Amino acid sequence: MHKRKVLKFSLLAGILCSSMTTLALADEVSTAKVQKLIDAADAARKQAAEVGGEWRDTGKMIKKAKGLLKKGDFVAAAKLANKAAKQGHLGYEQAMSQKELKLPSYLHYE
Amino acid sequence: MKQLFRKLTLLVMTCGFIASAQATTPEEDLAAFQNFFKKRFPNVETQDYINGAYSIDPVGRENWEAIEEFPPYEPFIDEGQAMWETPFANGKTYKDCFPDGPALAGKYPHWDKDKGMVMTLPLALNNCRKANGEKPMKYKKGPINSILSYLSYESRGQVTNVVVPSDDPKALQAYEDGKKFYYTRRGQLNFSCAHCHLQNAGMILRTEILSPALGHTTHFPVYRSKWGTVGTLHRRFTGCNKQVRAKPFKAHGEEYRNLEYFLTYMSNGLPLNGPGARK
Amino acid sequence: MIGNTKKWIGKVGMIGVIAGQVLVSPTLLAGDADVAEGKKIAFDRKKGNCLACHNISGAPSPGNIAPALIAMKSRYPTKEALTEQIWDATIKNPESSMPPFGKHGILSESDFKKVVEYVWTL
Repeated sequence: MHKRKVLKFSLLAGILCSSMTTLALADEVSTAKVQKLIDAADAARKQAAEVGGEWRDTGKMIKKAKGLLKKGDFVAAAKLANKAAKQGHLGYEQAMSQKELKLPSYLHYE
Repeated sequence: MKQLFRKLTLLVMTCGFIASAQATTPEEDLAAFQNFFKKRFPNVETQDYINGAYSIDPVGRENWEAIEEFPPYEPFIDEGQAMWETPFANGKTYKDCFPDGPALAGKYPHWDKDKGMVMTLPLALNNCRKANGEKPMKYKKGPINSILSYLSYESRGQVTNVVVPSDDPKALQAYEDGKKFYYTRRGQLNFSCAHCHLQNAGMILRTEILSPALGHTTHFPVYRSKWGTVGTLHRRFTGCNKQVRAKPFKAHGEEYRNLEYFLTYMSNGLPLNGPGARK
Repeated sequence: MIGNTKKWIGKVGMIGVIAGQVLVSPTLLAGDADVAEGKKIAFDRKKGNCLACHNISGAPSPGNIAPALIAMKSRYPTKEALTEQIWDATIKNPESSMPPFGKHGILSESDFKKVVEYVWTL
């Protein structure tokens, strides 16, 4: 009777433990995946900054994404990182498309 | 056929020439800039642009004139005077750095050939402090506004006269960089400085009149009711950049220094009337 | 007989109502909801903020930087043309002051669509 209880317990514990490790493994995979997205966003932000095209909230979004990742909110963190990356790309494009100064047509030079 | 090819090449070359000939001199820029306002507001005297939005907004002007009867920046002038006269820890004062006295705002910004950069008044003040073993002041908020209020007050009536010296190509480059900054779209909202303060100057954004760019630099530092205190020109630059959702640049870093150089040049001929009071 | 007819009319009516609900009203209702939500987004200072620059009939304290939002269907040949304008106004006019609400992600995709639906009704 007592032995059986022990057996039951260890079985249960075994199942629990193994499922916890799978969960932990899954976490690690997600963390690495989202970290990659965050790194990509930060690279895009820096690329924009180098040409003076960084937007106001991009850095804040990346910071927030890092916080969400720490808390294990992978979906929200990934979403925000992607948004920040898009801002980085757009800011860079915006600056590059204006490499040459174009004076406004409403300014009249004689 | 050969002739046609030659003609075409010539045409392409001419086009290339026209495109590169778009580079304009500071003098030409100044004329175009000030003429733009003459055409847009034919009844406004150029000199009156030192009053900002109130030069084109008669209703706002009445309120402003009432405020100016008891200027909110007055205590800052007094504080600034005390700063100017109080010796540093080493016994020296600002006067030792600026022997010509406090009426010096009209000399800034200027091209500093030795340093190879635009020298602004706040930078010069901090250089003086550092040379005397004092901590530099912050560039946007705090005590710098008091001493700037005093110096601007003492400099009232001096005429803006920024020079881009022709003997140093780096000076022209700094001016050009400032000009480029002014006309470049920035931030998520995609505005350049010119979109609001040139192209749409005098128009109403929700309930606010967009102030004209001409005269923007004459009245800083400025007591802004929105701030509840006096703030610097570079604080205002920062605010503008944030409003268009661009990341602001460092106060008195290269970008804003060159912007100040260009923007002040555009007000050449206009008297200084700082400190000012604005909504 | 009369009773039967009544029943019959009733049934047809019921079917009509049900069919109507299935075929017409859901799309209409969704459209109306989009338009109403689009209006909210358009008026929201942190979202569309259309009123900063455009007058909209009956709206409080509009700006005057840009043309009033009126008679959109006569100013834009298709809803697509209006969509493009709100997406990125610099396509048509490189010097436009209008922020690219779609291209720069100023509005989320669903907010953007709703604003287009609303503005198209003006």
